Amino acid sequence: MSRQGGRSADPRKVSQELFTLTYGSLVSQLVKDYESDEEVNKQLDKMGYNIGIRLVEDFLARSGERRCNDFRETADIIAKSGFKMFLGITPTVANWSAAGDEFSLIFDNNPLTDFVELPEEHSQLNYSNILCGVIRGALETVQMDVNVRFVQDLLKGDNQTELKVKFIKRLEDAVPAGEE
Amino acid sequence: MPIYSVYVINRAGGLIYQMDHTQPKTEVEKTFSFPLELTLKIYDERVVVSFGQRDGIKVGHTILGINGEPVRGRQLEDGRDVLEMIANPDNYPIAIKFGRPKLSTNERIMLASMFHSLYAIGCQLSPAQKSSGIQVLETDSFKLHCLQTLSGIKLIVLADPKQGGVEALLRKIYEVYSDFALKNPFYSIDMPIRCQLFDDNLKAALESAERLSMYTSGIN
Amino acid sequence: MTIYNLYIFDRNGVCLFYQEWTREKHPGMSQEEEFKLMYGMIFSIKSFVSRMAPVDFKDGFSSFCTSSYKLHFHETASGLKFVMNTSLNVGSIHDELQHIYSAIFVEHVVRNPLSKLGQAIDSQLFKTKLDSYVRGLPFFTKVN
Repeated sequence: MSRQGGRSADPRKVSQELFTLTYGSLVSQLVKDYESDEEVNKQLDKMGYNIGIRLVEDFLARSGERRCNDFRETADIIAKSGFKMFLGITPTVANWSAAGDEFSLIFDNNPLTDFVELPEEHSQLNYSNILCGVIRGALETVQMDVNVRFVQDLLKGDNQTELKVKFIKRLEDAVPAGEE
Repeated sequence: MPIYSVYVINRAGGLIYQMDHTQPKTEVEKTFSFPLELTLKIYDERVVVSFGQRDGIKVGHTILGINGEPVRGRQLEDGRDVLEMIANPDNYPIAIKFGRPKLSTNERIMLASMFHSLYAIGCQLSPAQKSSGIQVLETDSFKLHCLQTLSGIKLIVLADPKQGGVEALLRKIYEVYSDFALKNPFYSIDMPIRCQLFDDNLKAALESAERLSMYTSGIN
Repeated sequence: MTIYNLYIFDRNGVCLFYQEWTREKHPGMSQEEEFKLMYGMIFSIKSFVSRMAPVDFKDGFSSFCTSSYKLHFHETASGLKFVMNTSLNVGSIHDELQHIYSAIFVEHVVRNPLSKLGQAIDSQLFKTKLDSYVRGLPFFTKVN
């Protein structure tokens, strides 16, 4: 909580509670507007994607990070600098696949879900699904195609919140017209 | 301060001479168990690391050998396909050798003509009056120096970024070219240079430039 | 010393921004063709360098000089490409290009929710900030 105290000293920063409440009302509005949880998850992912492709530039500009050449490096940077910078938390990187192309981010604290109790009829809702989109958008901008999904969620009664990030492929720069 | 190589390109963009002087060693061999923690892709008909960098293996490295056998392009010499071998768990543990590949003659010819066009585009896109093309191209691992003579021949030297005196060296190479290629009555202009004396004198010029650069950087 | 011009390309090769200051010469082609040619040249130099490099490299291509100008190149991890042409006597401007990216581009384009990514920048604020930053650089003035 000392971190929050430090933050509120900066008048440009929004209080975490206001942020959490804003996100909460956004999700609950989406739940009202769309028929199924699946559709809400999709919308959250899409919004996150649009945030991610911008946020990553902000991240690169402020952190001065270079392009990653290894997925483990990517995982570390996401967990230790990315989440730290924007949400003030540091998820744990774990559960590496044997081929080193998939890892989990484990959250023991998620500021998006403070005050949230998931209604029973929305058991398919991935409340924090916006994070999947953010990571996907951010990594796509730095030339990595990934698949991101929630596999466990404290809100659903699991022991922890776990997000899986799977590397699909490297994206290449656009080739100028006329060249192959 | 190594000088890596020298290229001579004729006025039509054809490569007429090439010599590797210092060849840095970049090879790394590692034994892997299944599955392989590297992303590979085919680039220029070679198997190249596109993602995953560890233990001295870098993005951009090519697979040069498997279990001690050399790899040619995408295949082992006996015709087995590298990507298929790596995909098959039965072949593990597997020892793979990585490194920067030696360029083939065809690739060098292609790169020479590519530079020839880049030189011309650099000149065309100039924001300033009366510009030449690219004379020095700088990267974080090497510098390319190019001297285009008035007759339109391009002399190119690839050297360490800290190698000094390359301009003087290029002029010296020009002299060597005129002395031992052009003045040789059996050499036809714009054709590949195959003269022993040219080779020997060029080598001597490169070595003396390397020594000189070492000496001057030693003083500083 | 002087600064001729600046191009900013995104990773799809779209020229997001172009401005010239003391440019002396224009190639005989439309601006659109010039942008294509510039992006194509940078793209080819990058691929040339990656094939030609005798040793491993990190960032690769950073600049080239001709007899009358110097082209500086800086690429971000997100694939944005900054190309600035200056006179020959300007040293490395890596930090200045990084500043244009982090303090001007990110601040006034990326963070502006109304700006569309992947399209030419039409933010007047960005243009003004960039112009005054470039004009304020020590190597902008033509005094020798």
